[in-house]
Amino acid sequence: MAELRGDFGPGPDRVLTEHFGKDGLDTLAGYQKVGGYEGWKKALTTMTPSEVIDEVRTSGLRGRGGAGFPTATKWSFIPKEPGTKYIVCNADESEPGTSKDRYLLENSPHALVEGIAIACYAIGAHQGWIYIRGEYDLQYQMLQRAIDEARKAKLIGPSPFGSKYAVDIQLYRGHGAYICGEETALLESLEGKRAQPRSRPPFPAIKGAWGRPTALNNVETLITVSWILAHGGAAYAKFGTEKSKGTRLFSVSGNVQRPGVYEMEFGRPFRELIEGKAGGALPGRKLKAFWPGGSSAPVLPADMLDTPTDLESLAAAGSMGGSGGVIVMDDSHCMVKAAARLLQFYAHESCGKCTPCRVGGNWAVRTYARILSGQGSDVDLGLLDRVQAGLQGGRCLCGLGDAAGWVIESSMNRFRQEYEEHALHNNCSVEQGALAHA
Amino acid sequence: MSLSPHAVEEIKELPTRFPAQSRSAVMPALDIAQEELGYLTPELIKEVAGLLDLDSGYVEGVATFYSLFHHKPVGKHRFYMCTNLSCSLRGAEDLVKHALDQVDVSTTDEVSPDGLFSVEEVECLGACEFAPMMRLDHKFEYDLTTEKLDALIAARRDSQPKKKKASHG
Repeated sequence: MAELRGDFGPGPDRVLTEHFGKDGLDTLAGYQKVGGYEGWKKALTTMTPSEVIDEVRTSGLRGRGGAGFPTATKWSFIPKEPGTKYIVCNADESEPGTSKDRYLLENSPHALVEGIAIACYAIGAHQGWIYIRGEYDLQYQMLQRAIDEARKAKLIGPSPFGSKYAVDIQLYRGHGAYICGEETALLESLEGKRAQPRSRPPFPAIKGAWGRPTALNNVETLITVSWILAHGGAAYAKFGTEKSKGTRLFSVSGNVQRPGVYEMEFGRPFRELIEGKAGGALPGRKLKAFWPGGSSAPVLPADMLDTPTDLESLAAAGSMGGSGGVIVMDDSHCMVKAAARLLQFYAHESCGKCTPCRVGGNWAVRTYARILSGQGSDVDLGLLDRVQAGLQGGRCLCGLGDAAGWVIESSMNRFRQEYEEHALHNNCSVEQGALAHA
Repeated sequence: MSLSPHAVEEIKELPTRFPAQSRSAVMPALDIAQEELGYLTPELIKEVAGLLDLDSGYVEGVATFYSLFHHKPVGKHRFYMCTNLSCSLRGAEDLVKHALDQVDVSTTDEVSPDGLFSVEEVECLGACEFAPMMRLDHKFEYDLTTEKLDALIAARRDSQPKKKKASHG
């Protein structure tokens, strides 16, 4: 049984986590006891593939990996002509601050197996692949066991539920590269290559894994599909806002009293999540900033805690919903140091294919090092500004460089004073305050 | 050091799992090869390439792209310590220093004198609600403290077979 930290069990907006915490939910028997595989059975034995896609369209489900693209639309791009097609599940969760896919896999691996089977049927694929990050050892084993159990019970395999629609699922282990979360880099990796993003078009829907039409979906997305097929798209669409339907899992980490993975309906404010569920700041501290959707989502100051969690409100606030990873920082931590740490990450994880990202990230790392060692000047602040602009604007094949640019831009815009203290006066009032306090 | 007969058999069977003509077997094959020594040598890479009928430069290109493939000796027990933002906001950097000290190495590139440990700083491992955390011996260790690190190190030292003390006449 996985260690749980967050909230789960029955509740007004518990869709995916309603049964979490029950003994044996990770086994086939336990999953079936709470209605598991009923959605897959219904889809396969009573619906056509296009009816399955319509049901998901009714739900309004949008991808939970970060981009928020409508799932039904993505599936409808797959050509209808017969031939080999694939569903590839992106279980390469590696956006800093994001742990919700791990939480889902540990609690309910069968829900993913079911979601992949449904998705395969919807697009006419007979083979699903799960690309799981190499560090997820326990989660890999749990998924392998779930796949084996489902095969043995003839829920997947040559003839699920006695039908003639063969579906099988295989696991593929990643080997430590953030870039593999990007869908075309993931495909390159699955094909046994260095994970460098492809230029598009052709899009994966036309030419994906091994040159065949492929739909890539995130773990949480596919698990939500299982729920939607069992309970109906309309039931799901009752949750959330007009454009961001349903619930999502937020992994809250950093300087809060109760870090954890919390499921919440879209549209309620971050204050409810961070101060309510996660307990707010540690005693004697004040919240200073939060990254609302993984480290790639532009940082927001704590006075914006009333921003609603739906994707549209976050875009209007100058950030994004991203992966649902909420990193919270309190007033004892320096924003320049935090941004420097993140830039180290983006520079290290750049695959090196596109020049702005390969060069810009390292340029920023060296500039931050100068500023933090007391060797900075206003020239360095100007340089950071030029580097962040150069990293952004769709100059690269994927969004990694843009995200690095957003970290610099948002932290400089929102916390300019801290940058000036470091660069111009070799001073950090934040850490001095924290020391005086301690 | 070359691949054991068992590893060779396992690697030869891998390509059947993937579509024909694909190179997808290369990473699982490198995994098997890495099991032999804990890291990959140019000889092992060449052998893998030969078994999969791939160019050894190509296999080396893949092996050097991904951070879970090692190219230098590593400790028997390897600390993969997350120092990304969620963990560093909760003290990860001091824990890395403590771990380095306790296993008696000065940098993340070294192996401890007894060969038992090496320490690596890694990117976010996706268990942020348990920060600070790390991966050790294929298992996640949560809510790290200096005491917890000490206990994990001591347990691994204790489980080593005791060496006989050298006699001094």
